[in-house]
Formats: sequence, structure tokens, C-alpha cells
Amino acid sequence: MAASGNLRVGIDIGGTFTDLSILDSDGIVGVGKTLTTHGAPAAAVASVLADTLKAHGLKGSDVQGVVHGTTLVTNALIERRGAKTALMTTDGFRDVIEMGREHRYELYDLNLELPQPLVPRHLRIGIRERVLSDGSVDTPLDVQQVQEVALELVEAGVEAVAVCFLHSHINEQHEAKAREAIRAVAPGLRIALSSEINPEIREYERFSTTLANVYVQGVVEDYLEDLRQRMKDIGVQNDPLIMLSNGGVTAIDVARSYPIRMLESGPAGGALGAVSFGKTAGQPNLMAFDMGGTTAKLCIIEKNRPLVTHTFEVNRVYRLRAGSGLPVRAPVIDMIEIGAGGGSVARINSLGLITIGPDSAGSEPGPVSYGRGGKQCTVTDADVVLGYLDPKSFLGGAMPLDADAAAAAIDAQIARPLGIDIAEAAWGIHATVNENMANAARVHAMERGEDPARLPLFVSGGNGPLHGPGVAQALGSPQLLAPPAAGVLSTLGFLSAATSIDVVRSSHAALADVGDDSICALFEKLEDEGGQLLKESGVPEADMHHERSVEMRFIGQGNEIEVPVPAPSPSWKQEALASFALEYERKFGDVAPQGVGVEILTWRVRSSGPEPDAKLRFRDAPDAADALKGHRMAYFPQESGYVQTPVYDRHRLAPGHSLAGPALIEERESTLVIPPASRCTVAQDRSISIDFNQGSAS
Amino acid sequence: MMQQQQSSVVALEGTDPVLVGLVSNRLHSMLDEQQAALVNTAFSPVVRESYDLACAVFDSRGSMIGQSSGGTPGHINALATGMRHIASRYPAQSMAEGDVLITNDPWMTAGQINDITVATPVFRNHVLVAWFASCCHSPDIGGRILSAAATEVYEEGLRIPILKLRTAEGPNEVLEEIIRVNVRTPDETLGDIYAQVAANQVGARSLLRLMDEYQLDSIDDVAAEIMDRSEAALRNAIEQLTDGTYTAAMECDGFGGQPLTLQVTVTVRGNGITVDYAGSSPQSPFGVNVVLNYTRAYTSFAIKAALAPEVPHNAGSFRPVHITAPEGSVLNCLDPAPVASRHLVGHFLPSLVFEALRPALPEGLPAASADALWMSVWRGNGTTKDESFTLTVFGAGGSGGRPTKDGLTTTGFPTGVRAAPTEVLETLTPLVQTQRELLPDSGGPGKFRGGLGQQLQVRRRGGQAWTVNANIDRVDHPAAGALGGMPGSAGSFTDIQTGEDLPRKSLLRLAPDTHVRFRFPGGGGYQDPFERDIEDVFNDVVNGYISLEAARGMYGVAIEYLGRPDATVRLPESFRIDRNATRTLRGERQ
Repeated sequence: MAASGNLRVGIDIGGTFTDLSILDSDGIVGVGKTLTTHGAPAAAVASVLADTLKAHGLKGSDVQGVVHGTTLVTNALIERRGAKTALMTTDGFRDVIEMGREHRYELYDLNLELPQPLVPRHLRIGIRERVLSDGSVDTPLDVQQVQEVALELVEAGVEAVAVCFLHSHINEQHEAKAREAIRAVAPGLRIALSSEINPEIREYERFSTTLANVYVQGVVEDYLEDLRQRMKDIGVQNDPLIMLSNGGVTAIDVARSYPIRMLESGPAGGALGAVSFGKTAGQPNLMAFDMGGTTAKLCIIEKNRPLVTHTFEVNRVYRLRAGSGLPVRAPVIDMIEIGAGGGSVARINSLGLITIGPDSAGSEPGPVSYGRGGKQCTVTDADVVLGYLDPKSFLGGAMPLDADAAAAAIDAQIARPLGIDIAEAAWGIHATVNENMANAARVHAMERGEDPARLPLFVSGGNGPLHGPGVAQALGSPQLLAPPAAGVLSTLGFLSAATSIDVVRSSHAALADVGDDSICALFEKLEDEGGQLLKESGVPEADMHHERSVEMRFIGQGNEIEVPVPAPSPSWKQEALASFALEYERKFGDVAPQGVGVEILTWRVRSSGPEPDAKLRFRDAPDAADALKGHRMAYFPQESGYVQTPVYDRHRLAPGHSLAGPALIEERESTLVIPPASRCTVAQDRSISIDFNQGSAS
Repeated sequence: MMQQQQSSVVALEGTDPVLVGLVSNRLHSMLDEQQAALVNTAFSPVVRESYDLACAVFDSRGSMIGQSSGGTPGHINALATGMRHIASRYPAQSMAEGDVLITNDPWMTAGQINDITVATPVFRNHVLVAWFASCCHSPDIGGRILSAAATEVYEEGLRIPILKLRTAEGPNEVLEEIIRVNVRTPDETLGDIYAQVAANQVGARSLLRLMDEYQLDSIDDVAAEIMDRSEAALRNAIEQLTDGTYTAAMECDGFGGQPLTLQVTVTVRGNGITVDYAGSSPQSPFGVNVVLNYTRAYTSFAIKAALAPEVPHNAGSFRPVHITAPEGSVLNCLDPAPVASRHLVGHFLPSLVFEALRPALPEGLPAASADALWMSVWRGNGTTKDESFTLTVFGAGGSGGRPTKDGLTTTGFPTGVRAAPTEVLETLTPLVQTQRELLPDSGGPGKFRGGLGQQLQVRRRGGQAWTVNANIDRVDHPAAGALGGMPGSAGSFTDIQTGEDLPRKSLLRLAPDTHVRFRFPGGGGYQDPFERDIEDVFNDVVNGYISLEAARGMYGVAIEYLGRPDATVRLPESFRIDRNATRTLRGERQ
């Protein structure tokens, strides 16, 4: 079937691969994958797009829209490839970004390390000025000093400066005046104000966010300009839209101002892919689980929307531990990352118990079974020994695995020290890593007031289909959903994202004291702001809608919870309070203090355009005749050990096909494990769903 | 006794190691849930911003199985002992579903009357199967606001014996009323207690779910297994040490110009360690005394951090370490000794134990740190209740240089407590911090430099009198260097206008326009500073961590500044190392 024009293209630049998918109004036309070109990332984008179009007899002018996500921003921060940046801050507070919270995030480890600030101390300059916590001016801004420093910075070759003053989230005037002053003498200097980038209380987090934004802005601008040009050269008429980490897309020019909102936009696409397949499967609530070679990621989908958080850390320098990274406050899909992947190393700890990771053998030297010099046994080695991975057909047979070497390593390193046999040891590794991931998922879900046992598990990544069933069972999930084309899932997700932007304002007040007028005024201002940004992304006003939320807490508490609220109305306060009570109980149980007032700290509006109607199914019908490839021995403790297990070719399984476990379903990138006492079904869109405890007893 | 030993060996062989591992991991993730709930629902900045807390889970007999990964050692380890007292005061048959217990008795728990422990028994099928508990530093508990000037514990605030805080019928209203009228911050103090109740409930809920999933009627067997394995792991680590007796002694500021001596003798024999503090000063008439519980807490923390940081902290890993201090000494004070500032003595114990163990550990241990967490309690009385405030502020000096790395700058050790943001403190009170910045040259010179301290200046808005109690130490006794490293700088607390030193560890009345300055101590240096990499010294100078003078005098590195004398921005390019002069300086010393 020939593809029509009106194509939409999703492109994701990852650390290793650049992925692409092309959709027309009927479904997926083609997918592509190429190595990321780190020097000029847009080059790989252009070449994989041109090649994939050509392979399907299509032209650039057939492409109506491109949606693009990238890990570029994250990588620029991790690799410290940003601009030469300085910090102007309130005199006496130049070390806020180095002192952080003065905290040892790991109690017993005497060797821990703290994150390096993005700006070295010699480029952190104290400016004479001071605003107090009520917004009043204690010391007026020394404009002359600002200008002198700006000139010195230019002379020193500094390209960007973050202006971060105390309490600027309450009164932004000093920062605004400082910008004027700098512009007057140093027009070439790029400037970011903390009152614009992240107008929220807590100086360490606000300064860190502002710095990160301005630090990467130049890199991102250059890249986006290059991308825009290359797309034009291929013949694509419209500028690409940019995927944001909150799960929305926006125009290039908006993305340029807030590059930190593009952090983690690749994984955001994965979450949106989960939303999209979930919708087709009639599952609005999901736990999305992605497992690759070194880490696993998890996020919760609620009512067809990934949960979003407003604080996270980039560049965790010490064992992925919270506290070892740079804090960034920006709307981002609420995702946790665990050091658990196929390459994660298994060992016996000093307690004589199996532990997995967080270190990984990666792809070099890789697991023992790769035969590239890896000596420590890994999760993948266990999966080979258990028969879940076929040594001969791994990556479509491109890379034979050494099963004997894997078994020998597990025997020596795990089985013999524990006094158990090799299969039990391999199962111990497999089950332990599954349980670790399930634990992380459980904590993540419980903290957000969700019951993990009620959420179907949506799996992606090379190891997601392999370990997902075990994780799902450890969580007590009712069902598992494995999409087709999991390898390019994020690019599919991009195409299902609505244009959307989050705007935020800190305004602290007791709920009882907020006037109806100021509620209206605040939301109106935020909606105008969001609407304006949407307009710049080409969304007609009639198609816009605004969702409002506020962050509330009991007066006296220090941490807020985000509470959805309706549009302003005379009963708004009662409704907000009821919504808060509901969220509080969901998170913490029925222990709310009595007789304590409630306050609002932060007001948020998410402004969105319409959702595109993206169909994510494959269009070519499979040849179902010969899906059964053969049998091999695979280990299932429920069956008391190794059993002859049928192996199917995923690409030949037709919609409607149903199978009872135990079974293995293989595709090039992965193997889906159908455990005993479960049953799987192939859906119209070629997703496979597993229902646990539904297998045929016969 | 023999029989017990045998049965535990049988259990060791009989229990599926994979299952034990799975349950053990799950218990730890539950404790993180418990701690997250506690921080998210707490009211006081002490708990919600600074994490002066600990959470733990116990088996049915009250033996600690695990602790949350955040929190601070003094609370965690004291909880382990505290729960023994609680479980023996209220045996299972006297408890019912819905009961919650509370106490702040210093001798039974964390050694300070502000530290409140809340413990919740968990019932499954009407049988008590476990306990969840937490210990939090209360923003106020009455008394003299942590002043060490009190001479008996009775002056330090409201003492709560082990009591039922709640039953299934609801809260103990009499007790709540008593607490409410005795403290300066009734909403915060009680709000935090409610948060502790809620967090225990979150932990209990998850534990019951786990027991359902694994169909366990009791967690005692698995708990015993986890403890036995932890004990064996720590014993194994101790066995690697050379047997012998290791000693160290130090002085700290004490109270009112009367320094205290802390002395330790560590005896390593086979797979056990005894730590004895004989030779330490007798207990003080002032509130710097440490209860044995707290002495044990920081001592066992030190042993584990030095030998086996990866071994979980539980009742099992305490067993190989036997800790004693003479009764009536400052490290084992007797009721009713005053104890309000006990952490200003107790926090020195890890560095002291490290100093003793240094010869026994070939891979080395850090030099002494600022150690005692600096805490100041600020109080203002307004004309209305709304204008009054009581605020506890924490801050960290530098930690000691390490065998392969510099010490950490402004990072608490051994405490796990965090600092609160300036913006939060200023929003809650009329306090204004006019400076909060690193203190150059405060890190002890060494091949691996001690971490830097900080300087903090505070005044107030509003034209009213106010008070502060500066609970600080290392003003008279800086952190020593190790193996040829130099000491970190000493701390100070002064009036900015007069330049005079101000009294510490007691309530100080301040005039409305008084402006005070704290200089936090730096960590000690590790090994000879003349061996420090020249490029590292250069980098320290460029970034103002050390002065040009210190580079020359302390490190033997001659560096010149070649840029404009009035320049604010000074790039690395404007400095130059004088290699010849450096060779001469460093050579001369040899």
C-alpha cells in the first residue's frame, strides 16, 4: 500500500542512536535508525530522514510536520559542553550553588562526592543589592557595579550570565534592572534571570535551574538553527516542533528560550507512546516500564496522561543517588531511573545474598556471554542460561552469545558460593533484578497515591519485554502490554503529543485570604502567557484549552502537593479545598491535622492545543501461517525447572491470535516472556497483552 | 544460650537466601516510603527542610531490622536501643490495634529532650508482628531552648515518659493538651508528631502488603536471618584488622571555658571490637552531657562507616561491637544530668574513633572534621503571638581531608542533617542573613585539603529585642590534621559592630540592631600540604578557596597575580605559578 502525502515524522536523538518513524493518516509508514552524530546531531537527523523517505519512494515535500526530541540538553550538561557562564548574585551569597543543602546524601560512605557547580567560583560575582522576603528593598541595586562587572566578564570571554538574586521570585525588579544595565554595556552577553526561568522559592534550586538553562542555551540554539536549515534543504516546509520534557510539543522559538524544558524529552516520548497504545487498548492508567542495557525507567500514566513533576536532578555523579546531581526545577514527566539493565553486574554481597548493579558491564566489555572480555556475570547472562534469550538469534543472529561461558561465570560467581545449582542461581539473578525494579516502582507509585497492583505494565526497551512479566507479577499487576516497534517507541509518542506549555507563578497566600479577584487575575495572566506561547507555535485560539493546578499544603508544612483546580468561580475556594483534601488522603492516608488552615504557594496553568489523531498501528498485515519457530528449554520455577517452551516469531503473529504460557515470542530487538499460567493476545494494532493467571489449565 | 546459637545456625541453612534478599530489599524500600511521608507532612523546618530525623522497622520483639537511608546516625542508632525500652514497657499483650506510643526520655532514646520518638505496633490477624518508629527533633519542647546553661534535665523542657499517644479511639487528648501548653510552637510540635504517626502508618500499610504477598505470618525468622547475616558480615570485616589495642584522645570546648577530654580505647580481638571511653571527663554540671545510648549510636556509626559501610544497620550489626563508658562520665551521664547540647560532644566520637583506628586500617580514614553540627536557636517575642518566632537553624563546617580526596566543603559529618534555604528561613521569621558564603583558608592544609567552613552573618528586621542560643563548638579546639596534615581553622561567634566574641551554648539577649557573625570551622588536612599537587593549589587560589599567602606559606607554592589590581573577575590566566620559587620553597623544607 503506497503512502499518501501528509506525512508526520517523529525523530529522537538518543545518546547512541537517532530514531525515526513516519506516519500517514492510516498508520506507520516506515521506521529508521542510525548512529547519532555527536559533532553535528542534525546531520544524522537529516540523513536518516532522507534515507527513510527515499526507501519508501517519498519526498521531503510530502512531510507536513516533524516532531523532534533529544537528549542533547542532558548530554551538554553532563559533558559540560555549555557556554562559558558567569553568575551575578546577591553579595554574600556567591557560594549558594556550591554549598547546596550542606548535606551528606549517603550516611555511611566516607568517599561520596558532591556535584560540581556549572560555574566555577572565580566567575561567581556578588552584586551589592538586597531584597527582603516581603519584597521590600533593603539595599538598592548598584547599577554601576553591575556594568563594571559585565564589562569585565566580556573581556574575560564570558558568553552568558545568570542573574540570580535572593527573593527575586517575590520581587523581580532588581534582576530586571540588572539585565537592562548589562544590555546597555554588553549587548552580546546572553542573560538569564532567575525570576523568569524559575520564579519559585528556595535559592539553591532556583539558581541551579537558571544557570543550567543559560549554560546550554547557546548550544541548543545553534543546534535548532542547524536542524531548521537541514529540514528546509530536504524540502520539509514547516519548521520542526520540539518535544518538551512535560510531554507537550512547542515551536522552535519557544524551546530556544527554555532549553531546560527539553531535558529528558526522549523518555517523555516513550511515556507518550505508552499513552497512545494504552488508549487503543482501553487502558487509561498504566505503569510504563522501559529497560535497556544499563538502566530501567518507570513512570505512571493516569487517565491517559503521564504524571508530571516539577523537580528533578541531572547528572547524578555518584551511583545515581538522589542528592548527587544538579537540581533543576522544570515540568518534567515524573520518571524514576534505576541502575538495572541487561548489563547490570550480579554478585554476592558481604551478607551472602545476591545483589545486582548498580554498576553495569555496558556494551563494552558487556556481559560474559558477549565474548568481548566481560568476566563478571550479568542479568543478560542469567537470561541466556534460563533460555529466555536464544544465543543464536540475539539481535537477529547478528551477535551470537556464548551460553556456556555465561553458565560457567554464574556457577563460579553465584551458584557455588551460595550452594545452589546454576539454574537456581540464574533464576535468583533474574528474580532479584525484577524485584529491585518492582520495589522502585512500588515506592514511586505509593508516594504518588497510586496502587501499583491495579496498573497494567507497559513494557519497552530491549529488556522490557523480557523482564516486564516478572516485574508485573512482583507488583501484582493484572496485565502487561507490549507494543510493536518498541525500538522507536519514543518517536511514535512524539507524534501523539499535543502542543502544550506550562506556565507557573509563585504567589504565597493562605487559601482563606485569597481574594476572588486575585484568583481570576492570576489565572488570566498565566493563561494569556500560555496562550501567547501556543500562538507562537501556530495553535489557533479556538483550539486552546487551559488546565489549572495549584500547589497547596497545610500552613506550617514545608512540602506542597499539586492539586487540580477548576476555572475561577464563586465556589472556587471550596472546590480547591475539597480537591486538596482528596489528594492529601490519597497520598498520606486519613491523618490530616484538624483545624489547620491551608495555603497556596504556586499557581500553574498548562495550556494545550488539540491532540493529533495519530494511529500507531502497522499497516502491513502479517503472514500468520508459520508463527511457531520451534521449541527450546526455558526455566520456569512454577513448572519446577526447565521445560520445552514454544518459540514464536512476533512479526508473524496475526491480530486475534492467542497463546497460553509458557511461551517465548521473539523479535529482533527483544524476547517477550509469556509466563506459565498466563495467556497473551495479539491486538489489532499488533500490541500483545498478557493476562496473568488466565492461562489454560488443560 | 548454646541451644539458641544452634537454632540460629539451622535457620541460616534453612532459609532461602533469595527470599531473604528479596524481603530485605523490600523492607528498605518501605523505610524510604516512611521517610518520604514524614518529610512531606512535617511542619517544622527542622524536620521538613533539615531532615533531623530517623525512621526504622523492628521485629515483633523490638529488634531493629533496618533504617531509612536518610536521617541522622544519632537518631537511627538510638532508636534501636530505645525500642527495646518501649517494647519491654509495653509488652505485646498490653497493646492493641490503633495504639501509638511516644516518649522523649533522653536516657531511653536519643539523649536530648527535644528528640521525640513515636512508635507504632503493626498487627496482622490480631497478632503484633512488627513496629515502625521514627525519632524527630522537635522545634520546641519548652525549657531553656537547648541552652547548655541548665544544670538539671528538669530545666530543659517537658519530659514525656513512654505513653500511649493514641489508641483506636483516637488521640490521647490529655497528653496533647499538656504538650500544647508547655511548648512555644504548639502547632509545629504537634504537627510533626502527627507526621510521625502518619509516616509509621505508611510503613505499616506496606509491610502488611508484603506479608500478604509472601504469605508470611511473622517476619521474625526473616528478620533474624537478616540480622545474623549482617552480624557475620561485620565480624568478617573486623577479622581483617590486626588484633590490638588502639587509643586516641582529644579535647573539645565544653562549657564556660572548661574543656572536656574525650578518650577512647579500641580493642580489636578476633571478630569482635570493644570500645571503652575510660579516661574521658566526668559529667559536667552543664548541658553538654551524653547518655550512653547516644555514645553508642555515634560509636557504632563510626565503626560501621570505617569498616563495612555497605552492611545494613540493624540489631545484628551492633552485636560485634561492645561499647562502654564509665558511669557518671560525660559520655555516660546519670539522670537527671542536663543533656540539651549533648550533640556538641557526641558528634566528636566518630573522628575520635577514626583517629584511634587509623593505624589498624591500611587504606586510611579521614582527618577530623568540623564534627559538631552548628545549631542556633533564634527566638523573638513580638507584641502579638503572630510576631513571635522560635527557629532552629543548622549549618555545617568542613569535613576532614580523605585518603584519596579533599574533605567536603560545608557538608555535615557525622550528622546527616541538612541546612535550610535562606529564603525559607527569612520567610518564616524576621531574621535576615546578610552573608552565607565559604570561608577562605578555613580548610586544614594537607596533600588532601580539609573542606572549607563558612561565614554567616545574621541580623533582624522589626526593631525588637531577640535572643539566640549558639550551640557551637570547635571555637577553642580546631579540627586536627592527620598524618602530617594541618588543622582546619577554628570557629568563632562575634558581634560585628564591636568585634567581640559572644557567649556560646547559652541564651544570649541581643539588641534590636545587633548584627552577629559566625565563622564555621574547617576540616583537618590529610598528609603533608607540601605534597599537594601544585595544580590543585593553583586551582584553589584562582577560586579563592585559599589565599596567595597560604599557597606560599602553607603549601610552598609561589603564585603571582598578574592582572589589574582592581579587577573583580580574575581568570586562571591572570595567575602564574613561579616554578623556580616553588621548587625552592618546597625544597627548603626537605
